[in-house]
This record gives sequence, C-alpha cells and structure tokens, in this order.
Amino acid sequence: MIVDSLIVDRGVSAGDAWITVASENARDALSALKGDGYQLLVFLTCVDHLADRSRDWPARYELVYQLRNLETREQLRVRAFVDGDPPRIDSVSDLFPPANWDERETYDMFGIVFTGHPDLTRILMPDDWVGHPLRRDYPVGGEVVEFSEEHEAWRTAPEKA
Amino acid sequence: MADGAGESVSSEIGQGITIAKTGEPGAFGGELLTINFGPHHPSTHGVLRLIVDLDGEQVRRLKPVIGYLHTGIEKQAEALRWQQVVVVTDRHDYLSPPINNLAYALAVERLLGVDVPPRAEALRVIMSELTRLSSHLVWLGTSGIELGASTMLMYCFRERDTILDMNEEISGFRMHTSYIRPGGVMADATPRFLEMLDRFIAKMPSNIDEYEDLLTMNPIFRSRTIGIGRLPAEDAKVLGATGPMLRGSGVAWDLRRSMPYSGYENYDFEVATSDLCDCYGRYLVRIKEMREAVKILRQALDRLPDGPVNIDDRKVLPPPREELETSMEAVIHHFKLFTEGYTVPPGDVYVAVESGRGENGCYVVSDGTHKPRRVKFRAASFVNLQPLERMAMNHMVADMVAIIGTADAVLGDVDR
Repeated sequence: MIVDSLIVDRGVSAGDAWITVASENARDALSALKGDGYQLLVFLTCVDHLADRSRDWPARYELVYQLRNLETREQLRVRAFVDGDPPRIDSVSDLFPPANWDERETYDMFGIVFTGHPDLTRILMPDDWVGHPLRRDYPVGGEVVEFSEEHEAWRTAPEKA
Repeated sequence: MADGAGESVSSEIGQGITIAKTGEPGAFGGELLTINFGPHHPSTHGVLRLIVDLDGEQVRRLKPVIGYLHTGIEKQAEALRWQQVVVVTDRHDYLSPPINNLAYALAVERLLGVDVPPRAEALRVIMSELTRLSSHLVWLGTSGIELGASTMLMYCFRERDTILDMNEEISGFRMHTSYIRPGGVMADATPRFLEMLDRFIAKMPSNIDEYEDLLTMNPIFRSRTIGIGRLPAEDAKVLGATGPMLRGSGVAWDLRRSMPYSGYENYDFEVATSDLCDCYGRYLVRIKEMREAVKILRQALDRLPDGPVNIDDRKVLPPPREELETSMEAVIHHFKLFTEGYTVPPGDVYVAVESGRGENGCYVVSDGTHKPRRVKFRAASFVNLQPLERMAMNHMVADMVAIIGTADAVLGDVDR
C-alpha cells in the first residue's frame, strides 16, 4: 500500500493521473505501487526543465515513471524531481526489469546517475561520447561529424567520458 | 557538460562494453568462447550486435549492444514545430510509419483537447491495419529466408508492394507517409484508393493461405521453431514484453482491445494468442493477426463514414487552398501556421497504440510554446529485445537467428 505521506502532490494531466514523490522516496513509492498491482513499468524517462518558465519547477530534472496495472488497466505516472551535479536517484531496475535499459538510456541522454544500477553504461551513444545529448543545453547540430578530422582532435581532448 | 565537472561517479558508472573473461571452463570440457554476432549480420534485421559466450555451439551468455542506428529523433523533435514532428515519427520504426504518426497525433490531440471526425478515425484504422500487414509481411518474408524458405520473401514482398502502392495513392509516399497528423489526416481517400483496398481485401485471405501452405506444416520450419526460444507467460510479463511476443506466450493483451483508441472498440476482431510460448507460437500469432487485420479492414471499408477528415480549427490546420484567394483571414491563418506554428497548452500526456511489434507509445510534454519540450517514444522493439538472453539461453547459435527473427525488433525503433 502506498502511504499518503510519500505523495507530495497529485493531479490529472490531459486525462492521465499522476503523483509526485520526493526523489529520495521514489524507490519506496514505486515498490509500494508495485505491491498495489502496478506491475508493469511502461517506460521511464526524464524531462529537462531548463529555462522553462511555463510553471514553477522544483528542480531542473523531472524523472517520469509510467506504471500500469494489467488487471484493472489503470495507469499512473510517478514524478520525482532531482537536481545536482550529477543528479542522482535510486535505481528501480531490480523491481522492474524493463527499467534496466531505460535507466541506461536516461543516464546516457541526461546524465542522471541511478544509484544501485548493475551496469550503468551508455547504451545508445558510443562509449567515449562526451556530454548528454538530450539535455537542453546540449546544442542541436553542434556536434562534430564522427570519424572526421575534427572528430579525431575533439575526442582526444577529454580524459574520459 | 561532462561528468568531470561534478563529483566523481566513475565507481558507479561502468566502463562500457566488457568482454567476458576468457578461459572459463564450459560443460563439454572446452573453454567458453566469446564472439561478436553482428552488427553487420544479415539475420540481425538491422545493425544489432550481440556479444555471445559460447560453450561449444551453445549460448551461455548474451549481451545485446545497440545504438548503431541512433539518429537522435527525440532531440530533433524538440527542435521542430508541433506539426513538423510528424515527419520524424515516421522514421523511428520505419516499418510502421502510420502507427507511429497515430501515437503522436493522438497525444497532441489529447493535449489540445480536440476530437477528430469519424471519417478520419476510420481512415486512421485503415492505414494502421495496412501497416500492420506490411510490417508482418516483412517479418514473415525475412524470417522465412533465414529459416530456409526463400520463396516466402518473394510472396510477401509481392503483397507488401500492393500496400506500398496504396500508401502512394493516398499520401504520395510509399514508405514514410506522414499521413496521420494532429487534427486529422493529410488528405481524404481517393476513389481509386478505395477500389485498390477493396481488391486487396478480397485477395489477401487466399495469399495468407499460400504462406501457411509453405510454412505451417513445413517440417524444416517446424523443427527450427517449435520449442525454440521459449518465453513463459510470467517471464514475458515481468520483462515487459508486448505485442506478439506477449501474445505468443498466451497473454491476451492487445491495446486495441484492452485500452481502445481511434474507435477500435467498434470493430469485431479476435485477439490472437498462442500457448506455445516459442518461436512457432509467435509465428502463429502473427499469421492470425494478419487475418484479423483483413477482417478489420473489411469492416472499416464497408462502414467508412462520410464527412470531413480534419478538424475545423484554423489555429491548428491550414485553410483549404481555394480560400486563400478570397479570404484575408485565411491568408493570415496560413501565414501564422507556416511561420510560427501553433501552440499547445502546457501539460504532458502518454498515448500508447498497438503496432505490429507491440506497445508503441508517445510521451509528449508541452511547455506552452510552438515546439514540444520533450517527445519520448516508447519503442516496443527496445523493450522486446531485453528478453533475448532469457530466450536464447542454452540454445544453439543457429537457433539464435530464429529467436532474433521472432522478436521482430526494428533497429531504427530500438535506437531511435
């Protein structure tokens, strides 16, 4: 049973129910929700709210977990806000196996560090890539073409990704 | 931007691809051998690389390595206006463009709070089912060729070409149609399209019989697929598999039935399942789905309602060409839409549709501007690849080809 004290905020967005939990409680909340019948983690991703003035965001990164109860067909979105350099949150890959790759992707694209993930490596970008492309301060079209001369010069500069 | 700017996290972050320790003893007196399967292997259906630990010829460990086809579609979507994103949705799962369009269009419509007219809904169903057929045909043809039935490819691509002709007739494009877009569809169906569709529906069941004649009782095909790549229902659910992967394990979960969208609740069709849980079961499910798709197409064509195919909202869709010559208002709307685009109220929404591969979802976040803040594609292939190790364990290398085949991952969808 998920206890109300874990829930910071709740609402409905365009017909989808959501709750917000504190990032340090996200794992506990998801574990409790799994016990409530939300067995499937449909996807897990992150939204970067850098310079978004449409609302007053508590932190820059918003982790989004979409859960589904396969019996009642109910869906619930769990949000958790994180900040920091690097931003961190507990991994849920042992609770929900599909989260394994989703968390790797979110690390790859946003640089969120999932504490306790068994193999947190880049998944879509090359292993030696620098930066996290889906962050809003990562320029579109600014990257160096791979295997070009500039790329050779550019990739030798940093010690490691 | 690099991690080096903050505290050190290197102890938690792996160092990339690791090759298994060599010299580990196997069960047959030899050592485990680590090999690369792919990325440029014809049976990986794209550029999928598998690092496989072999004991003799048996698979002991398997690690998929993906990302070779990463094109940054989600990043591109953030730089495009709402109506332009449709074009990139075509390109992630390149075997089912209209279904990807549909997920995105439904998501944007939910945020805008608009409903499309009934004729648009029916046309969307027609295009979705045609796409499901063409996607299954590619799967059947390529799987056939991998398992020793090379005639299948010729048969399947014959029918697929008819479907591509219909795509061309209705949208002008053969593959990346961009036909379904927020607010409706690109254009109404032409009379010639409806005639082609009618002929196709009449012919297709006998074509599916032909495929079945070649494969269903074929001893080579059966021995290559029965009992291979078993994925029990519990495992399939836990690992998040969707689509034919899940239904091939006997779970009757189909989003068209379980969580209907675009008027699917009005169509009479069966959810194909199979309790075999193996590659052959997944084959049977896909064949059955093709037959059901033809049934849905027939119902949709017979009951195709009249009326407009787009919402009547000049803030979202451009005015008809004729009006531009007579109405100043229309010119202004046209100019605004093609220079600035439209804005979508702030909020986020997740819409899932059933593609040929499983749950194809689109999570859209709007910050109230004329470009999306975030577009996330929940790719069925990405999730369906994760049970691969479970399925291939202790099978022969050659069986891996059948297993990858029936997982039916489109690598463009995996890597986005």
